[in-house]
Amino acid sequence: MFYKNIINGDDSRDGKESPNYLLNLIDTPGHVDFSYEVSRSLAACQGVLLVVDAAQGVQAQTVANFYLAFESNLSIIPVINKIDQPTADPDRVKAQLKSMFDLDASDVLLTSAKTGKGLEHVLPAVIERIPPPPGKSDSSLRMLLLDSYFDEYRGVICHVAVVDGALRKGDKISSAATGKSYEALDIGIMHPELTPTGILFTGQVGYVISGMRSTKEARIGDTIYHTRSTVDVVPLPGFKPAKHMVFSGLFPADGSDFEALNHAIEKLTCNDASVSVAKETSTALGLGFRCGFLGLLHMDVFHQRLEQEYGAHIISTVPTVPYIYEYSDGSKLEVQNPAALPSNPKQRVVACWEPTVIATIVMPSEYVGSVITLLSERRGEQLEYSFIDSQRVFMKYRLPLREVVIDFYNELKSITSGYASFDYEDSDYQQSDLVKLDILLNGQPVDAMSTIVHNSKSYRVGRELVDKLKKVIDRQMFEISIQAAIGSKVIARETITAMRKNVLAKCYGGDVSRKRKLLEKQKEGKKRMKRVGSVDVPQEAFHELLKVS
Amino acid sequence: MLLRLCFANQTDTDIDKKKQVSVSLHLSLQTQSAPLSTTVTCCTMLKSTFTPMYWFLAPKPKPQKLSSNLIKNTFSNSTPNVRQNSSLKQNPIINPTSAYIHLPFCRKRCHYCDFTIVALGSASTQTHDDPRVINYVQWLCREINATKMEEKPAPLQTVFFGGGTPSLVPPSMVSNVLETLKMKFGLSESAEISMEMDPGTFDYKKMQEMMLLGVNRVSLGVQAFQEKLLKSCGRAHGLEEVHEAIDIVKKCGVENWSIDLIASLPHQTSEMWEESLRLTIEAQPTHVSVYDLQIEQGTKFGKLYVPGEFPLPSETQSADFYKMASKILCDANYNHYEISSYCKNGYECKHNYTYWKNNPFYAFGLGSTSLIGGLRFSRPKKMNEYTKFVQNLENGLINSSSDNNINSKDTATDVVMLSLRTARGLDLKRFQESFGSSLVLSLLELYKPYVESGHVVFLDEQRRTIRIDDTDNSLLYETNSERRVAYMRLSDPNGFLLSNELISLAFGVIDSWKDYPSALQEAT
Ligand SMILES: Nc1nc2c(ncn2[C@@H]2O[C@H](COP(=O)(O)OP(=O)(O)OP(=O)(O)O)[C@@H](O)[C@H]2O)c(=O)[nH]1
Ligand SMILES: [Mg+2]
Repeated sequence: MFYKNIINGDDSRDGKESPNYLLNLIDTPGHVDFSYEVSRSLAACQGVLLVVDAAQGVQAQTVANFYLAFESNLSIIPVINKIDQPTADPDRVKAQLKSMFDLDASDVLLTSAKTGKGLEHVLPAVIERIPPPPGKSDSSLRMLLLDSYFDEYRGVICHVAVVDGALRKGDKISSAATGKSYEALDIGIMHPELTPTGILFTGQVGYVISGMRSTKEARIGDTIYHTRSTVDVVPLPGFKPAKHMVFSGLFPADGSDFEALNHAIEKLTCNDASVSVAKETSTALGLGFRCGFLGLLHMDVFHQRLEQEYGAHIISTVPTVPYIYEYSDGSKLEVQNPAALPSNPKQRVVACWEPTVIATIVMPSEYVGSVITLLSERRGEQLEYSFIDSQRVFMKYRLPLREVVIDFYNELKSITSGYASFDYEDSDYQQSDLVKLDILLNGQPVDAMSTIVHNSKSYRVGRELVDKLKKVIDRQMFEISIQAAIGSKVIARETITAMRKNVLAKCYGGDVSRKRKLLEKQKEGKKRMKRVGSVDVPQEAFHELLKVS
Repeated sequence: MLLRLCFANQTDTDIDKKKQVSVSLHLSLQTQSAPLSTTVTCCTMLKSTFTPMYWFLAPKPKPQKLSSNLIKNTFSNSTPNVRQNSSLKQNPIINPTSAYIHLPFCRKRCHYCDFTIVALGSASTQTHDDPRVINYVQWLCREINATKMEEKPAPLQTVFFGGGTPSLVPPSMVSNVLETLKMKFGLSESAEISMEMDPGTFDYKKMQEMMLLGVNRVSLGVQAFQEKLLKSCGRAHGLEEVHEAIDIVKKCGVENWSIDLIASLPHQTSEMWEESLRLTIEAQPTHVSVYDLQIEQGTKFGKLYVPGEFPLPSETQSADFYKMASKILCDANYNHYEISSYCKNGYECKHNYTYWKNNPFYAFGLGSTSLIGGLRFSRPKKMNEYTKFVQNLENGLINSSSDNNINSKDTATDVVMLSLRTARGLDLKRFQESFGSSLVLSLLELYKPYVESGHVVFLDEQRRTIRIDDTDNSLLYETNSERRVAYMRLSDPNGFLLSNELISLAFGVIDSWKDYPSALQEAT
């Protein structure tokens, strides 16, 4: 946006017009799954507005984002918003900001986006406190590729920050990562719609359309420079690539729809390059894909878009995190799919590692007890515990990623009535006592249902899975045994007794059509089932299993 | 397939329309096989407002048609070579030799009943002067007379008076119906003429009159031998009437008669059920029908009860009732010849067999369904719509039979569904002649595991059981006739008990049956 900084309500002080500023604002997502987007946005910024709710105070996201900005050496403008609310307590929040981040109360802006109060101070503060971009306008061009998306009509649109030099329409540009060259066909700024300017100067953030076919060519964090100046350009530090935290199998709900699903996934990943995709075959579910996601929300969003935008009906297997298995012959295996892990391996397993995260949790102090219980159930290790003020507690924990991925946040919210906030960043692998848990139906393992769990939880999880399955699998003509097993050891078992009777006693001339319709319906019901050996498994069974932690 | 739509205020007295309609009807039938055709022909009505209109809708795009001839041959006992008999045009409709007559009147509606009935009121045991009955029987006879036929009607071999409670209708009116049928189609000397009769609706005299008219088979709606149960399911009669009715039937010397029972009634215990079966056997009917109570939506039971929950028996109890009936009746020398039917040797209900063989049949009266030329046609269930239907039939505006183009998949589905309900089972040789061997092989493959589990039985030509353990994949082509599967049937009682499951499995196979070309080749 362009902003005319009018000081003291006087546009023509000293006969000079107030200067016009070009400000580039980036909104960042609040959810932890997308903290990756926050950090890459910060790379293009000189400062941040750290917005805190006047009633709720400092949250886990506030802490996480503060440190991201702080470590990137950005100017931080604290803003306490929603001061219009009856429960607003800006002084308390100011004290929290002071004690947690050493931010001076006098620097804090108070606003209400609802009433408009205090908003007039925000942009002047931006101009006063945040320095202009530092680049060298006389150096050769270096641009940071921040983001990209695919547009049906215009192809790939890249968001870039010009660090040094300037870009003109028609310039030949190259990517440091791929070495590919393009022509800058259209360039401009987001105002907020794409607005062609024909030129981008040092410090500007804008868009470039250059005839890229797929967002896969547009590597986030890449450095782009003039093709002609290859020799003297030092690539920018870039970002570490987005890390896939969660993997799950995606299968067409109706086996015949594989091609349709394939097509839908291809189109969708064109737009969201942060999903990794590889083909997978399951004996229970047929052909499908193993996909990697940034987190569970990311996964849900992807599923939803597949269903809503592409009409794909899918079955997702239980999400898993990437484990590392080490065998006695020294070989290591990264396991993104529990089914791929041999249940009775030839080589002895020497060690298993699982990824961990550092979690930040902020909550009212009355919930501390139950939250600590939850965290220790989730195998968490406390790293830090402190008071933000007399009523709010801040904690840092190391947690196995697996424990966070499945339903952790929901449970946290429910035990704290929604008052706890939570954020995490990925951390190291830790050695762990892991076992593969198989689910067997009538003695036959169902590959799509196997999971890797911590040994201490295997009995509980096995029992839960078996109970859930017993509820969702209908009685069939044969008795069905449902077992959870570790290797050859069965740890939980249930049986579904055989169906006793399913018959329509009468069928005369007038009933034939009606009876036939009924049986057709029954047939359609069977079609929607996945057949595992002799057992018909409803698709809900797979959905239900997602909820077992 | 027929779809009925109501159009308000449709007045059209243009006589030429008639011709036009029949012409376009013809066209629509010819274009049935065009992909995605939903050719619609409408038949406008004469002199009427608020006329129901009948649309002949070509069924969904269907890949292949078979002649009704062929279908018929799947079951006919004389086996003319299908290939010789396959010309589609010359021999279009085989005239049915069975007729169902719906007499919808009841004194009151039973709590489980969702049939098309007309409740006259509990006091109505005398109906000879009830204008509702008189008028209805007139419309019924008009419908019979208005039915279009091919040149030479075959005399009827079976007539079935169903209801409602046909025994409420005075013999004079039954006589009218039978006379009309005789005039129209002819009635074989040896025809089986059945009538559903309820205890408390007829006496010795009435029974004798019915017999004089030719009624030679009685299906007695006893349902239960416990006063309490009769009352709780809303029957219009008590236990005393049941015994009276049995006495009358026996005294009149009805040779062929059936007791109809209902299993799994609310509050029914296994002791009660055993008692009902015992008393039934003591009465020595030649036939017993055992129906499982179905809880239908919209009935009083549907509002009161949930299947499987008290006071209804649990699924297990209900299965036990079924097994008990099978055991006790078979021990008393009744053959369990269909899922819900038992009879002494030679006393199968011929009329019902028409249904189970997928043979054509006429149907007359309110809400009844006929099968002519492969088309199942249901008459209106509301009296005023039915009378308009009859008028339109008389005016030649509608036709309740169809051409001879039937979708082979639909037919295969019906044949499998109906024949697997019988002890005779599916005749694989005939089935193969009509639908090709690939489908038969898929069915054999499908059911093999269920032979092992005891739900399905494979039989050879002599109807000896074939053991599955020593068969390989060539069950059908086996040269040794002792090991060639000629019939498949559901076992009694285990297969019958799970017949819905087993039959819907077969539906799945027929559904994915793609081998049309070879089926067509073999069929024509
Ligand atoms: N009362 C009041 N409500 C506000 C004010 N500002 C925002 N809201 C409400 O707060 C809610 C959240 O606002 P958003 O702008 O989505 O917050 P956000 O921080 O961008 O959220 P994420 O992008 O999900 O992290 C909305 O319902 C807003 O209407 C305010 O000053 N006063
Ligand atoms: Mg937002």
